[in-house]
Amino acid sequence: MSTAVSTARPRSISLDGKLRIAIGVLSVIGIGIGGYLTYTHYAGLHVLCLSSGGCETVQHSRYSKLGGIPVATLGLAGYIGILISLGIRGEAGRALGFALALVGFLFSMYLTYREAFTIHAYCQWCLGSATVMTLLAILTSVRMLRFEAAPAAPRKPVSRAERRRQMAGRR
Amino acid sequence: MASRTKQKEEARARRLAEERARAERARRDRRLRTVGAIVLGAIIVVAVLIVVSSGGKKGGLQTGTEASATATAVNGLLTGIPQSGATLGNPNAPVTMTYYGDYECPVCQVFTLQGGFPQLVQNDVRQGKVKVVYKSFCTATCNGPGKSVFNTQQVAGLAAGKQNLFWQYTELFYHEQGQEDTGYVNENYLTGLAKQIPGLNLTTWQADRQDSSLATQVASDETDGHTIGVNGTPTLIFKGPKGQVAATQAVPSYAQLESAVKQVS
Repeated sequence: MSTAVSTARPRSISLDGKLRIAIGVLSVIGIGIGGYLTYTHYAGLHVLCLSSGGCETVQHSRYSKLGGIPVATLGLAGYIGILISLGIRGEAGRALGFALALVGFLFSMYLTYREAFTIHAYCQWCLGSATVMTLLAILTSVRMLRFEAAPAAPRKPVSRAERRRQMAGRR
Repeated sequence: MASRTKQKEEARARRLAEERARAERARRDRRLRTVGAIVLGAIIVVAVLIVVSSGGKKGGLQTGTEASATATAVNGLLTGIPQSGATLGNPNAPVTMTYYGDYECPVCQVFTLQGGFPQLVQNDVRQGKVKVVYKSFCTATCNGPGKSVFNTQQVAGLAAGKQNLFWQYTELFYHEQGQEDTGYVNENYLTGLAKQIPGLNLTTWQADRQDSSLATQVASDETDGHTIGVNGTPTLIFKGPKGQVAATQAVPSYAQLESAVKQVS
């Protein structure tokens, strides 16, 4: 019985593993979207788009760049950063992933607002990226809030004689 | 004796439980503080990004040498090409490109100044193969706070058209287009553009702006657009002996415009 308890992995660690896999998969999808849009931008190619000119309208709008850098490229950097954060152990990695996903999510919401109310056109790639970033923000926040480090092993009762021996050893 | 040992064990278990609970509370508090700091930091970062994204080049009415350079570029593009009202090019050109646009639409600006349009004008329109007809269709202006100005700004262009200088006015508007939703289109701006057009009689232009037929034309263009399903600007429709096609790109390149012209020629 005691053996079973000691070898069983804590439930939250298992949840963290699943979250890491999901975050990794979504980051790779995001890298695909950001990479494609960055490539078409710098190669001067037309974006494959389902709606009539929606992607081009968005890509030619003034909101498609930030300080001269295409927002798709910034998104690509964000997804790569989130993927890298999965390889960083402990609280720092989780915090980095959460911070990047949260910034990405909030900025995606702003850009979607601009698509709807300023540019009046939608780009499926951008909406896809916004959806991926939203899911990443949810998953990284769950990972940040729910993760429990493996509890410290309970202290074994020590007899008085054993304690005396330990104290004598320290001296 | 046994009872005392049991009491000690219980006290020890209680102490350990309290320690664990304290440690857990401290860990939870630390994590919540971290999450709070991240959320606050993310909001600040995004606010800065939004300010940068909304800032940048403001555009607007040009003055001095900048205005002279723009006027020279516009004249270089259009001089020698016949104009009549909102039509640019040979009236008997076999292909007509109808351009549904809004002066305040930033994508129209990109198409007119950086897309395939300048090359189309330099080549096909100048050679008399294609004529361009501009029609007003309210998009960016009507979605902003200053939609009431749409009629006034489009009529200002058509009033220049009465002196066969519609395209000079239109090109200048796109060259000096301001930032959306800033209310930059006012009387000073509209008159300022007209003053930059060489050969435009300003007094006649001001009088023509009151011509109700021009306002009717703006309304009629809008109705035509809705009838054929225009839902954004620029919308480009090519009509020729072989039929009619619409450009599928918002900002088509010259090659794409050429392809559309060939399809209907």
